[in-house]
Amino acid sequence: MKRIICLILALVLLMTTTACSGNFAQVNLNEPISIPENGIIEKSALDKVRSENAIATFTGSSNDIKYEWTVFGSDINETRDINLEVSLNKSEKGIKISFSEADDFGFPALLSIYLNEKWTSDSATAFSDGEGVYSVSVTGSKTSILNISVDKVVAEWEIIPDMAIQSENTTAKNEQTSEKVTVSQNNSTEKDNYLSGVQSSGDRVYSDGTATEKDKYDTDPVPEGKPMPVEPENQEINNKKKHTCTFSIECSTILNNLSDLDPDKRHLVPSDGVILPPTKVTFYEGESVYDVLQRVCKENNIHMESSWTPVYNSAYIEGINNLYEFDCGELSGWMYRVNGWYPNYGCSRYQLADGEKVEWRYTCDLGNDVGREGTW
Amino acid sequence: MVLLTAFINPAFNHEGATTLLYFPNGNPLTLESILYGFSAGVMIITTLMWFSSFNRVMTTDKFIYLFGKVIPALSLVLSMSLRFVPKFKSQMQTVTEAQRSIGRDVSNGSLLQRTKTAIHIFSIMITWSLENAIETADSMKSRGYGLKGRTAFSIYRFEERDKYALIWLSFCGLFIIAGTLLNAFGFRYFPDIRYAAFDMTTIPFYCVYSALCITPVILNFKEEKKWKISVSEM
Repeated sequence: MKRIICLILALVLLMTTTACSGNFAQVNLNEPISIPENGIIEKSALDKVRSENAIATFTGSSNDIKYEWTVFGSDINETRDINLEVSLNKSEKGIKISFSEADDFGFPALLSIYLNEKWTSDSATAFSDGEGVYSVSVTGSKTSILNISVDKVVAEWEIIPDMAIQSENTTAKNEQTSEKVTVSQNNSTEKDNYLSGVQSSGDRVYSDGTATEKDKYDTDPVPEGKPMPVEPENQEINNKKKHTCTFSIECSTILNNLSDLDPDKRHLVPSDGVILPPTKVTFYEGESVYDVLQRVCKENNIHMESSWTPVYNSAYIEGINNLYEFDCGELSGWMYRVNGWYPNYGCSRYQLADGEKVEWRYTCDLGNDVGREGTW
Repeated sequence: MVLLTAFINPAFNHEGATTLLYFPNGNPLTLESILYGFSAGVMIITTLMWFSSFNRVMTTDKFIYLFGKVIPALSLVLSMSLRFVPKFKSQMQTVTEAQRSIGRDVSNGSLLQRTKTAIHIFSIMITWSLENAIETADSMKSRGYGLKGRTAFSIYRFEERDKYALIWLSFCGLFIIAGTLLNAFGFRYFPDIRYAAFDMTTIPFYCVYSALCITPVILNFKEEKKWKISVSEM
């Protein structure tokens, strides 16, 4: 009997070793390498990144503007010597990039441009010969960071903030401009909403901006012209009326803060930061952003965890795609934006209207790096 | 216990890459959280086992023997406080019975009376325990406990076999510490389950660890055999 107990004890001890989780970095994050004078990154260096399944960053600067290439070893198929040098020049509307490399890299690489100024627009488009080729995500708290996932290299680009394009469009009222931005899909939808305003569905109540007191769920007054929160218990879902909206989930801010990210989660970050590209989603009238997010995540097999927070009478999104709050620094977490505005109330209280554009974005700085305005 | 934690953990923890199904509130039930709950249960059981075997093996005299010279005050306090609970219990029994014989019974009378008696007994116990502690400390002091040059009787001697055991244990310990530093036992549950490859680089560490775990079993087995042989020879 005693012997059996001893044996069981030994077995249990053996099992506990497996229960002790160590720091298990599957994907390595390499130290930043500065791009040499001639800009050439040798094949051997890229081979190493690929074989180690590492994330490598290459830094350089041009005209006092710093830039950084982030390369995921898992993306690399073929390797050869590539020239990562780019020259950056401020232009009238935005910024001009010219690449030294003439051919495609053969794999997608993320180019982050650290501007010395703050762009008010939170998205931008890269144009080549007047044609939009890439959508650019603009992040950064005090100064803007432009992120572009590059897989095709064109000799020269100009990156223009979308806000500048829109103001141009509205003043000129030129039909031609819609052609100009058809390349990037999410861009065109955003433009539509800005131009035509939100078509209200049902009887939505908008804030007149006169309230000065917090409501009973500790929510500051809703800015003028923005929809008032609708409490989840009052939301009536009409299964007969269907509407569509655009949903996207992205975490490009993590790519600028990879060193803060939990090493166990590195392999979860897509190399372009996009977890769900802008997708048209059908929803029933009366559903909230939370309802739709839950369904979208289920349909696309994206992991999502939320917890109900009675104080704010809303669900709180803790993690999407296993990327949780606080995984990338203590100011990180998920935020949502509808038609360019970060609502100051929870996602269960935002009743969606037809044609709205919902973006879920991961922030590493309480929303300041993803274009949230105002202070906490 | 294992099943309990395996059930409870997934109810609160929804992290993990493998979604099995969804809860009514929309959160996913993940394989990782179930397995984590399972291993957490095993871990709790192991900890309980550690303490019970520690209690069995490390008796007060062994404790005093080990630390009596290095930290006399602390080891005295520790052994006294460890001894305190059973001693208090038996003394309580004595005092209660003595009080009952003079008519102060805790199981008789009105609530107020019983409470009064209980408080009385408790006050006696407090006085006794304080006095007892001082007495013990004084008695230890008068015997020169903790003084320089004082020897303590012990039945333990460092023998040849102890030397071998020590060498073996420290070898295993160092080997496993090295393995841990090299992440040979690495294991993580979230977001997906990953563990160090079970190959030529990690197998030696696992072997040494299982050898360390099985050491007391082997020693016990040898002892038992020896005992049986000596009994049969008599």
